[in-house]
Amino acid sequence: MSLEQFKNRNVGVQHYRMLDLSHTPQTGWGQFKQVVRRTLSLELFVGLKVTLREMTKALFFGKMHTTKYPFEKLPVGPRYRAIHEMKRLLESGHYRCIGCGLCEKICPADAIRIETAYGEDQRKQVQEYTINFGRCIFCGYCAEVCPELAIVHGGRYETASEQRASFSLFDDMLTPIDRLKEQKEFPGYGSVSPDADKRIHKTPLAY
Amino acid sequence: MMSNNITITIDGIACEAQEGEYILNVARANGIYIPAICYLTRCSPTLACRICLVEADGRRVYSCNARVKDGMNIVTQNEAILEERRAIMEVYDVNHPLQCGVCDQSGECELQNYTLELGIDSQHYAIPDTKRGTADWSSVLHYDAGLCIVCERCVTVCKDMIGDAALKTGPRGGDPLDKSYKATMPKDAYSMWNKLQKSVIVPSNGTEYTNCSDCGECTAVCPVGALTERDFVYQSNAWELRQIPATCAHCSSGCHIYYETKHTAIGNSKEKIYRVKNEWNYQSLCGAGRFGYDYENSSAVKDKTAFDRAVAALQKADTIRFSSMITNEEALMLQTLKETQGVRLVNPDARAFQSFLRAYAEASGQGIYPDDFKSIMRESDFVVTVGTKLRNDNPNVRYVFNNIQKMNKGAGIYFHPVGDALVPTFGKNVETFEHKPGEEELAMHLVLDLFADREALPDSVRKTIEAYHEPRTRTVTEKVMEEVTVTETDPETAEEKTVTKKVPKTVEKEVEYDHNGLVEALGGDAEHFDEIFGKMMNKKESFALILGEDLYFHPRADNLARLAALIEDVCAMKLAMVPPRSNALGVALICDLDAEATGYVVGYNAPGDFILSALGTGDLDMPALNQQEGTLTNMNKRVVPTNAALPYGGYELNDLMNSLGLGKTLTVDWTTSLPEDRGFVAIDFDALPNGYANDGQEHRGYLLDVPPAEKTATEIAPFDGDGVLEGQIAYRCNPQRQFSDFTDKAHQIFEPFALYASPEKAEELGKRVTVVFDRGSLELDVIVDERIRGDIVEIPDFQSNKNIYALFGDNRYATVTLRKGS
Amino acid sequence: MMEVTYLGVIIKAILILAIISAVAGFGTYIERKILAFMQRRLGPMHVGPYGLLQIAADGIKLFTKEDFIPQNANKLIFMIAPIITAATAFIALSAVPVFPDFTIFGIFVPSVASDINIGILFVLGMMAAGLYGPLLAGMSQANKWGLIGAARTAAQFVSYEVVTGLSLLAPIMMVGSLSLIDFNHYNETHAWMVFTQPLAFVLFLIAGFAETNRTPFDLLEHEAEVVAGYATEYSGMRWGMFFIGEYANMITIAVLASIVFLGGYTDLGFIPGWLAIILKIAFMFFLMLWVRASWPHVRPDQFMWLAWKVLMPLAVINVVITGIVIMV
Repeated sequence: MSLEQFKNRNVGVQHYRMLDLSHTPQTGWGQFKQVVRRTLSLELFVGLKVTLREMTKALFFGKMHTTKYPFEKLPVGPRYRAIHEMKRLLESGHYRCIGCGLCEKICPADAIRIETAYGEDQRKQVQEYTINFGRCIFCGYCAEVCPELAIVHGGRYETASEQRASFSLFDDMLTPIDRLKEQKEFPGYGSVSPDADKRIHKTPLAY
Repeated sequence: MMSNNITITIDGIACEAQEGEYILNVARANGIYIPAICYLTRCSPTLACRICLVEADGRRVYSCNARVKDGMNIVTQNEAILEERRAIMEVYDVNHPLQCGVCDQSGECELQNYTLELGIDSQHYAIPDTKRGTADWSSVLHYDAGLCIVCERCVTVCKDMIGDAALKTGPRGGDPLDKSYKATMPKDAYSMWNKLQKSVIVPSNGTEYTNCSDCGECTAVCPVGALTERDFVYQSNAWELRQIPATCAHCSSGCHIYYETKHTAIGNSKEKIYRVKNEWNYQSLCGAGRFGYDYENSSAVKDKTAFDRAVAALQKADTIRFSSMITNEEALMLQTLKETQGVRLVNPDARAFQSFLRAYAEASGQGIYPDDFKSIMRESDFVVTVGTKLRNDNPNVRYVFNNIQKMNKGAGIYFHPVGDALVPTFGKNVETFEHKPGEEELAMHLVLDLFADREALPDSVRKTIEAYHEPRTRTVTEKVMEEVTVTETDPETAEEKTVTKKVPKTVEKEVEYDHNGLVEALGGDAEHFDEIFGKMMNKKESFALILGEDLYFHPRADNLARLAALIEDVCAMKLAMVPPRSNALGVALICDLDAEATGYVVGYNAPGDFILSALGTGDLDMPALNQQEGTLTNMNKRVVPTNAALPYGGYELNDLMNSLGLGKTLTVDWTTSLPEDRGFVAIDFDALPNGYANDGQEHRGYLLDVPPAEKTATEIAPFDGDGVLEGQIAYRCNPQRQFSDFTDKAHQIFEPFALYASPEKAEELGKRVTVVFDRGSLELDVIVDERIRGDIVEIPDFQSNKNIYALFGDNRYATVTLRKGS
Repeated sequence: MMEVTYLGVIIKAILILAIISAVAGFGTYIERKILAFMQRRLGPMHVGPYGLLQIAADGIKLFTKEDFIPQNANKLIFMIAPIITAATAFIALSAVPVFPDFTIFGIFVPSVASDINIGILFVLGMMAAGLYGPLLAGMSQANKWGLIGAARTAAQFVSYEVVTGLSLLAPIMMVGSLSLIDFNHYNETHAWMVFTQPLAFVLFLIAGFAETNRTPFDLLEHEAEVVAGYATEYSGMRWGMFFIGEYANMITIAVLASIVFLGGYTDLGFIPGWLAIILKIAFMFFLMLWVRASWPHVRPDQFMWLAWKVLMPLAVINVVITGIVIMV
């Protein structure tokens, strides 16, 4: 799909198929005929049959749909956009975030705030980082714009809390250091495209 | 400088220009774009980046240092030039760290801009990187050599504008370039790279720390994130900051600045100023302006009881004492109080300036000094200052003095009793006179002597001057070539023969010269002054005289004002005066000031029985000047608007006026009521512009149009030497970057309230002294100012509660006794 | 036949009250379960085994909920209205034979608490009177949704009550009595009325759905249209009484249909009469839930069109034909 087609949001001229529905009767006689026809063709019983069939399936053939949440949980898709996660570098364990503030800038809900400072190691240090989940619309722009693959969406979708505007702090979102080995890359918004290698110009390093 | 209008063609567009202008400036003024990294509009071309390459009449020139000629045809872009520019940008990108995400320039980066604009998407050059660390050069400057592209803008601005010349290029220690590049690369790119690979920026004094006035202008001009304010490092991205155009209120320069604000912290959404920026191509800031921004009265609330007490205090006030750190509108409110309630208005610095201006007006018939500092800086090539401490009183006057030396190939004479080590370094044609305090009249006479048409002088003055001249002889040593006959032995043939040779020989000779007693009286080298002055006058066309605060606080201020009027009249000299404090000019024009405070005193940012204070220390809170809008009158006779950068929660002076039944809806509603007979114009505050045009035209507020005064014939009194001070002298003078309580409040300005002395004097005095004046005494620490020369000590006045004006009285100099220890 | 004593009638009344209340409560559980199964869900599962104690939980909730009365409501009528619904539902049951006669502790308990000779008329009358509950509730609560619910109650009442009467007229003509006992006895000797009067059965069924405000005729309280209709302002046990009344009515209709059309509590082959009637009632109950799960509801105008223009003429024709057949 080319970019132009992708950007065509004029859904009005897409390929819709009209159903061949008979017209609503206009006269009393017509309505009467419709009632008689529907009565005698036993359309109503088709409905009864469907529900009975579904009940049989559910009860005797193990086709029950119910997931007993919260005892059972369905796995969410890897690209699902729930509560954010802050990733660490796999080698050093240092947080990936460089404090560039692009997520803060791009956030359409103005939910992200970041505080940085000149660290003792002469690097830009993330002092504090918050996402106001009372405002976050989970659009995924922050993950998309992040140059370091540091902020991504995770699968934690249970976001009920006692406060409407509950903050999530940097440490809450950061991969716990003892679980660094379990850290997985996020395949959704902002991840490296499969052909990334082909599109990068190498800097010549003559030494 | 003479200016002839000519026409040149740039990219097919006909452009008006003045002869002698640089091509780049002509292009910029006409909205034609030529890339340039290293060039600064008001400084000399550095020729470091070479990216401004253009073709003028088919010849390749650098537009930043090639001057226009009539009929010149210039092409700013063709494939060859582009290729050269691309190569240069590629070289700049070699080993430049890809840290744009964390860099403090955060996208406002000229390296990024030009790289993208020239479409650099690949890199053909490589060299091993050199480790380049970061350094803190001073309490405010942070340098990251890794990010530096060695455009030398910082070096240039520090030398040509600021005058400190505190920076230079130093060795980088990188590998030499691969020789094969020389053959394959465009020529300019190669030579630029060759230089770049060898240098970084270092403090010019050879240490790790800069010895400068900490103005931070180098951080402003840095095109990349290499030079930043220490406090701002990694604090905020530029795009998060809200820019508020304002006017710096610390001194009378009234510089155009932008306050950049953002919420304080994640948990604190109160606005906070993160830094101050300036239009560095057209206006340079000082350290106070750039770093003294956080003087707001942040804790103010609407305290109704305090407000009621303030209203009562104003009703019973006999005197209102105030500082000049107020807007024109507030000054007008105070004047309204004087007119309606009959209170006395007391402001020592503005009053001295006001009476000097009045005396000048009476003598000259002009309402105000005729010229401004911008035009002096642009046009003059010979500048004389009398009575202003160039390094401390007003940073922009110092920049003007320095810039004239550097850019206009100028000369300067600096008359001041306090010796200064920095001023002579501004240029080789700078002459300083360390005269005695009280001899300012002699200095003015010398100016008359040097620059006036003697025939045009009044008889009395001419006679006075002529009395100082006498023919004398002096001994000069000359080198002459003398023919001597010597006997030499030929080393080969061992033959002796006599040879006649010419050998140099110094001979002493008596020469008659015109001995100038004025020069001698002022402490100059009278014997050689005529020669020196002759050199200084070489090819000079435009002269300027700058007068300072010493003359306003002077026992014979009126006579000095008359002398100034005479100089303006008979010498073809521009004349400008330095207002002593922030808005002293505005206050002097708007308010009728009284000499003495009597009875119940209400102080506004000044001592009193009831104090209205923007510092948050008084009886009622007032907004500081970064929290209120209004206009200020700066030394360029311009009424400039300033805006509120930070929120303010308390009452304003206008609220008090409203309670007294004299107020208007808003403070800025007073702007249109500013007195038109004093030169103000009735323009609505919101209609006042505040910015610069591309060609450097200043569109800020409006220029004062002071009507001429009535000229009353005044005699110039002869100099009698009564006012000359002898003995230990103290000089009322603030350290650099300190101007008032407000700069003192700012956290990045920490010059303490202490006695400042030259290194030798400080050693003699020890750590702490008691300064005994006629009217009282003061105990102060002694601090060494490396750049002071001589015996006079400096005592600051920036803390109003110390009441230094009362100790000094009507003179800026006082004879004191210094007692060691406490 | 044993003599009917006061004690026997009281025992019967208590039995009816206890059992029908319990069954009405249990009915809510069954309804939720059946609907869930038909949508392949589990329904209530967490309170007690398979969610059986959900009824108890609901009961506790209903009893402990705040009973509030809107400020501008007609308070007396607002308070009485749910009682009318619940009371009339149980009063109607007094003339309905629910089980065969039996003797307990030597006391004869009749199949019907009050075997009055106008039994079926009484039942229909009482159920019709029960409609005053929603009508008054809707009008008294000073709520526009309630008012619309009340208006719909009146319109629906006028429409279906005619059909109910006319559809039962033909069986009554054939049996020659209004007593439901006699209907039951008629079934012992004749074929089930459903075979001899199929049209009357269908008409009665439709009218019965309307009588109990069940889908597809739940116009009075349809959430999507009128929030909760007449019950909008009710909470706690007052709302609960409407609920019990509705379920009691469902049982009444199921019992009536079983006795009049499906052979009543006569023995069915090897199945004893008491079990047979329970099965029949259960099936009728299930049918109501099944229909709710399967069909959408109709609009008020469609319903009235159906009642007046289709069902009533059919019922009249059925009565005429039945009369002609009996005469011939």
